[in-house]
Amino acid sequence: MPADAISAKFDVRRWDAVAGGAPRYQRYELELAPHTPILSALLRIRDEVDPSLTLRYSCRSAICGSCAMQINSKSRLACETQVGPEMDRHGRIVVEPMRNQPVLRDLVVDQSPFWTQYDRIEPHLKLDPAHPMPEGRPTSMTPEQVERFKETPRCIACAACYSACPAVEADAAFPGPMALAKLYRFVVDPRDHATQDRLVRIQPNGLWLCLRCHLCTEACPKDVRPSERIRDLKEMAIAVQGGTERGSRHAIGFKENIEDRGLLSEAKLVRQTYGAAGMIGQLPQGLRIWRKKPEVLHKPRRIEGADELDRIYEALDRESEGAP
Amino acid sequence: MLKHEVVVVGAGLAGQRAALAAREAGRDVAIVSKLHPLRSHSGAAQGGINAALGAEDSVDTHIYDTVKGSDYLGDQDAIEFFCREAGPTVVEMEHFGTVFSRSPDGSLARRAFGGAGFPRTIYAADRTGLALLQGLWERLGIEQFTLYNEWDLMRLVVRDGRVQGLVVFDRIHGIFEEIAAKSVVLATGPAGRIYGRTTNAHTCTGDGIAVAYDAGAFVKDMEFVQFHPTALLESSILITEGARGEGGILKNATGERFMTRYAPHVLELASRDVVSRAIVTEVAEGRGFSGPYGGYVHLELMHLGREKIESRLQEICDFSRHFAGIDPVREPIPVYPAQHYMMGGIGTNIRGATNLAGVFAAGEAACVSIHGANRLGGNSLLETLVFGQQAGKAAAEYAAGAPATQLRAADLEAVETPLRAWSSRPDGEDPARLRTEMQQTMERYAGIYRNEADLFEGLKRIRALRARFERIRVVDASKVYNLNLTDAVEVGHMLELAEIIFVGAYARTESRGAHARTDFPKRDDAKWMRHTMAEKGPEGPRLSYTPVAFTRWEPKERVY
Repeated sequence: MPADAISAKFDVRRWDAVAGGAPRYQRYELELAPHTPILSALLRIRDEVDPSLTLRYSCRSAICGSCAMQINSKSRLACETQVGPEMDRHGRIVVEPMRNQPVLRDLVVDQSPFWTQYDRIEPHLKLDPAHPMPEGRPTSMTPEQVERFKETPRCIACAACYSACPAVEADAAFPGPMALAKLYRFVVDPRDHATQDRLVRIQPNGLWLCLRCHLCTEACPKDVRPSERIRDLKEMAIAVQGGTERGSRHAIGFKENIEDRGLLSEAKLVRQTYGAAGMIGQLPQGLRIWRKKPEVLHKPRRIEGADELDRIYEALDRESEGAP
Repeated sequence: MLKHEVVVVGAGLAGQRAALAAREAGRDVAIVSKLHPLRSHSGAAQGGINAALGAEDSVDTHIYDTVKGSDYLGDQDAIEFFCREAGPTVVEMEHFGTVFSRSPDGSLARRAFGGAGFPRTIYAADRTGLALLQGLWERLGIEQFTLYNEWDLMRLVVRDGRVQGLVVFDRIHGIFEEIAAKSVVLATGPAGRIYGRTTNAHTCTGDGIAVAYDAGAFVKDMEFVQFHPTALLESSILITEGARGEGGILKNATGERFMTRYAPHVLELASRDVVSRAIVTEVAEGRGFSGPYGGYVHLELMHLGREKIESRLQEICDFSRHFAGIDPVREPIPVYPAQHYMMGGIGTNIRGATNLAGVFAAGEAACVSIHGANRLGGNSLLETLVFGQQAGKAAAEYAAGAPATQLRAADLEAVETPLRAWSSRPDGEDPARLRTEMQQTMERYAGIYRNEADLFEGLKRIRALRARFERIRVVDASKVYNLNLTDAVEVGHMLELAEIIFVGAYARTESRGAHARTDFPKRDDAKWMRHTMAEKGPEGPRLSYTPVAFTRWEPKERVY
């Protein structure tokens, strides 16, 4: 036992889908070095205290993606989260299964919703029959073209992002951050010839359901930054198709409002997002807001210094011309 | 009962490539895997995949390096075939979608690896295995096949002179199933977890090798166990050979670059067995560092500069930072050798066929043999793909010509009945305890340096553990994801393979490649240039020997 050992307290959620009953939290206490990975601690519990505790794990080096779970309410890989900092911050280590996937037992969840969304984006190269792969030699691709993938090839499909995502929780149709980051990987691949089709097809019940909360990027153990790739996909989707979805119309309207006056006209934005006919459905909510904030219906004046905005937008447009 | 033409067990690179080949041949294919295919241990391979694509390089040099690396135990006909397939295999993976690292001219980037005459290791940063696994899984996803995800292989049923199918265990539902199959490809990977210090994943428990051995397959050259020179201290997480390929150097506690004494020409890029023995010798002779996790040496990358380290060795930067609290940009990485690879496995020919009709094997579970007594870095990823494809093709051809197969209820009962007894015992042996004692025995008695007395003692201890395994007890009564039960099954498999390693190592009275006997320090070609074949007998493994295939390369002393 190392001299700096600490007494680590684990509260692990236990439940069995076949046995049923109410979930319970079981307390385990171990003397551990502070740098001990939580996975190692759980395996010690299995080996020395309670062989009935069950979880998924394999490589213990953050490359197989098996051991994602909720650790003190954050979606993390158990193998690369250390005991010491968690104890320092929370005084105990609450270990629970990932969210947004049905629990099978203890820390093991049914990942089929996650894999179904992965399959939905058709994760394979689509070639143009007119442009077959070069015969007998690799496709030419420069390091700059590889750069365009950003960090998406690092994804280990651990589903930590899927577990952290409130949009998945709100709407099971949402593909989730991992599937969209995977889609991005194909969209920027110079070998793939379905870019436009992919960008069109991901929009209904897909891309625009993202809430832009960035919790996926916070959860990702491999720095894939799914929310940033989703943002990139949104920009590319508008470039391909313009405002065809509420989400894209909202984004375009938002930009126009700010460009015009530097302030949102909320009523105008509702009309831009939902269309004139669609506004009727938003009427009850609109009335509620109007009672509290009658000024929403006033047309805002152009704010002072709005000329500065024009220059910002010009600069942004110039930048995005150079981007993917 | 489930029924398929070709059943592939294991879904790493070898299994997936076999499945794809069998699908390309038009067969009905199922994959059985105890973990999701994208979680396979192939994904942990870091450094790269060899193919002589450089203008200055040649297939012949790749062949020669592999023959020499194998310490002349590799079959030269198989090695020639293997190296010729390298280029087309890498190109195919690129076409499937693998995202490789590139040179400024748009070609595939290459790096230097140990034991290689030229920089011929093609890579994707330091996550080449993951990149290949993603590319192949994406390509395989276009095909129709059945995936039995998180199912464990329990038994191979061989009757009337050929395979009939297999008995498997569905972890999620806790039930046993039979799958009738005309042919079976075993691609279940290694058994590194026999050792305590291993770079292998927890799931690398040699299930396919043990199950094939139980069914009557020959298991070949199991005494040749590769220890990777640079595993992270304490956790034994792999630090890729690519780190030395990019210019990393090894130093002992006196600050000496000690490889100058062991391999004056190529230094850190000598073959793995050579570098591992050098590190162990440095520590044993008091020139290593010491700490609470044992002796070690330093792997220094600092002189490479932040940019190169963080771009080409991104994952190992993360590993060092997360798992050892070390920043390789600023400080040396503490490393010590750990078990890494098994040259041995289920004996096959170039087409993946075993001595059992209808049973094929590929990848680390198999032994063709191309690695002989020591594998070169960058050759294992290539092996999974080249021989995975061969095994899949051969299994498809065999299935096309094979009559229907038959399983019986008794086949399943033969698996389930004893396992029920494990769960109903009021007391007995704990799987985790047996595993720990087995791992300690392997470390102490079948490590990098071996001798007769140690091997004799180790064998005795493994046999005692096998006797205790007869009274194994499973305390977890759940039907869902019962790891206590699968742990017990895996420990049984590993103990069986541990015995084969000891028997083979004890018999082989020479030093060759990764098998270093202090009591027989020289290679003995007259007596031992032959493969060990182990077959299950009533008293334990029965050994026989087969000759090494030679084509053009005469055995020479191996100097780096």
